[in-house]
Amino acid sequence: MIQLQNVNKSFKGDLAIQNLNLNVNKGEILGLLGANGAGKSTTINMLLGFLKPDSGKVSINKIDTTHNSQETRKLVGYIPENVNLYPYLSGLENLDYFCKLAGLKYTKSQLETYLTTCGLASEAHNKKVGGYSKGMRQKVGIAIAYAKKAKVYLLDEPASGLDPLASNELSILLKKLASEGATILMASHDIFRVREVCNRIGILKNGVLVKELHSKNVSANELETLYLQFMQN
Amino acid sequence: MLQIIKNEWRFFVRSRIFLSISIAFIAILLLSVFLGNYQTQKQQQTHQNAKDHVRQQWVSIDEMNPHSAAHYGTYVFKPSNLLSSLDEGVNTVTGNVLRVEGHVQNEIIHSEASQMQAVSRFGKLKPSLLLQYIVPLLLIFLAFNTVSNEKQTGRLKLLVLQGAKPLQIILSKALSVWLYGVLLLTFILLVYGVLNFQSLNSEILIRTGLFFLTYCLYYFIISGLTVFFSARWQNATLSLTSMLGIWIIWTLFLPNILMSSVEKWNSLPSRNEFQSAMKEDRSKGLDGHNPADKRGIALKEKVLKEYGVDSLSQLPINFDGMRMQADEDYGNSVWDKHFGNNRDILQKQKKNFQLGGMVNPFISLQNTSMGFMASDNLHHQEFLLQVENYRRVFIKMLNDKQTFGGSKTGNWGWKEDNAFFKSVPDFDYKPTQISVVLPNYILDMFFMMLWSILVVVLIVLGTKKIQIV
Repeated sequence: MIQLQNVNKSFKGDLAIQNLNLNVNKGEILGLLGANGAGKSTTINMLLGFLKPDSGKVSINKIDTTHNSQETRKLVGYIPENVNLYPYLSGLENLDYFCKLAGLKYTKSQLETYLTTCGLASEAHNKKVGGYSKGMRQKVGIAIAYAKKAKVYLLDEPASGLDPLASNELSILLKKLASEGATILMASHDIFRVREVCNRIGILKNGVLVKELHSKNVSANELETLYLQFMQN
Repeated sequence: MLQIIKNEWRFFVRSRIFLSISIAFIAILLLSVFLGNYQTQKQQQTHQNAKDHVRQQWVSIDEMNPHSAAHYGTYVFKPSNLLSSLDEGVNTVTGNVLRVEGHVQNEIIHSEASQMQAVSRFGKLKPSLLLQYIVPLLLIFLAFNTVSNEKQTGRLKLLVLQGAKPLQIILSKALSVWLYGVLLLTFILLVYGVLNFQSLNSEILIRTGLFFLTYCLYYFIISGLTVFFSARWQNATLSLTSMLGIWIIWTLFLPNILMSSVEKWNSLPSRNEFQSAMKEDRSKGLDGHNPADKRGIALKEKVLKEYGVDSLSQLPINFDGMRMQADEDYGNSVWDKHFGNNRDILQKQKKNFQLGGMVNPFISLQNTSMGFMASDNLHHQEFLLQVENYRRVFIKMLNDKQTFGGSKTGNWGWKEDNAFFKSVPDFDYKPTQISVVLPNYILDMFFMMLWSILVVVLIVLGTKKIQIV
């Protein structure tokens, strides 16, 4: 579903991504670990079609994101580190607005179902987002992608700043989405969360994918040791 | 696009600060409309009272020599129209009373500004003041961060991912802000319409419609340009600073600089120069009160010949009246020459000032606003011309009565009765029709449209360079 082939990207001469090859299949969750500036967000922005690779091919569902970004964006749900919604609208209104922008018209009960499915308590549906916690906003963000019937979810540091309970809820939700057939790529610093949620893990360092492994083959402690080794070398 | 506009408006409506400012501003606008209307109606009443009083004086003349009556003269008052309650234009400084008499074309006097308290001279609270200066500022404050805020919060990314095109987003934001300005404008005009419902006619409606159109164009330019800067610059402070700079240059500096330059390029003679030149030219003509005047004697010879008589006493008419009218005719040609020259210079000034609209649409807005509300210098000049035309008819009627009314030359004691003075028509001002003066404002409208297109082009081109990440 997600494919990056020999991708290179530089900014003003500085290489951000070097010869990156990556595949994420349907129903799979790939976690990208890496320090700040490792190239995680650049990878996601290339998948979103906001950045063009200098060379190589970036595709979603075999559609080139560089030349057909309008098409690939229809398949993608994006959840940034901070889901900044419109604070003067309720969660329900935000979801309704973003759905309408995508040309989707849902009834109120359908919208409520999406929010509930994504873990937002029904009491919060009609409250202004300005009073939401970060976790609640993440849930609305995921509901926007879910209601859009996204095939691919791209998450950029989604658990950053979430309390353990919210972070756990997010993990459960992502697993549920994957079990329904969604393809998920999650960039994160959180080794333990990535190990818990993802099927496969890739470690990015200075734009290079230095390691790729299956999470079931590694414990959280082993992963941390491995990650620190790569970062320190 | 409609969804984005609706969402913007939800923000406007749900923002307490915005609502408070809007309510306060609407209250001030309402006050300005009420005050403007009240002042205009009061002026109309005062004008009517003064006009009635002066007319009463005239028709109460029992018996008087017609030429003495020409010296006695009358007064003409510049009527204030309902439209000027929206934009007073030059009316406060041009004066509103003209003495009409024989031999001389007097200047209009008693400007409102000359009778005001010092503080009031800085400008009265009229809707045009708010619509031209304050509404654009409100639009700038509403629009300066509409796109930059979306960029900074990362929502622009989400909007684009949901399928909204950057051009749609930016245009919708510009239209949302523009609609706010249009709404305020509509509100003002509706209140104005309700207050003056009885007096509305097609002329007022057309003029108000054009007034509405030009303000709509100007608000679009301001809203579009601000949203363009908001999209183009990386932060909101920069877009606010840019637009405030443009607002200051457009509204405060450029109009004054351009007007001063235009006045220098095409300078009018000073009042003294004008009067001296008139006096000099007039002295070359016939003196109606001097029987020894050479041109007067030539006219006398001509008339005697025409009537086939040897002396003035044999004439069946009063030659004094004829000489007075000849004096008047000459004076009129002198006035036509000098006043016409001034009118030409004013036209050139207006044309050159209008060209300023190329770099500053505010100039075009001011021109059209005053013009469509019949309060600019062009309308004032039309009024002066009508008064002069009336003066000529008025004086000729008196001189003709002196000439052909039955008196003899030299009989200055001869008098006409009250019926004649009652038959002299009163000044009846015919307001200048918009269809007549509209061509004078085509250039302003053209520049406003050009600016609107330019703003759309800027938005379209700017959107291509917008950085979403």
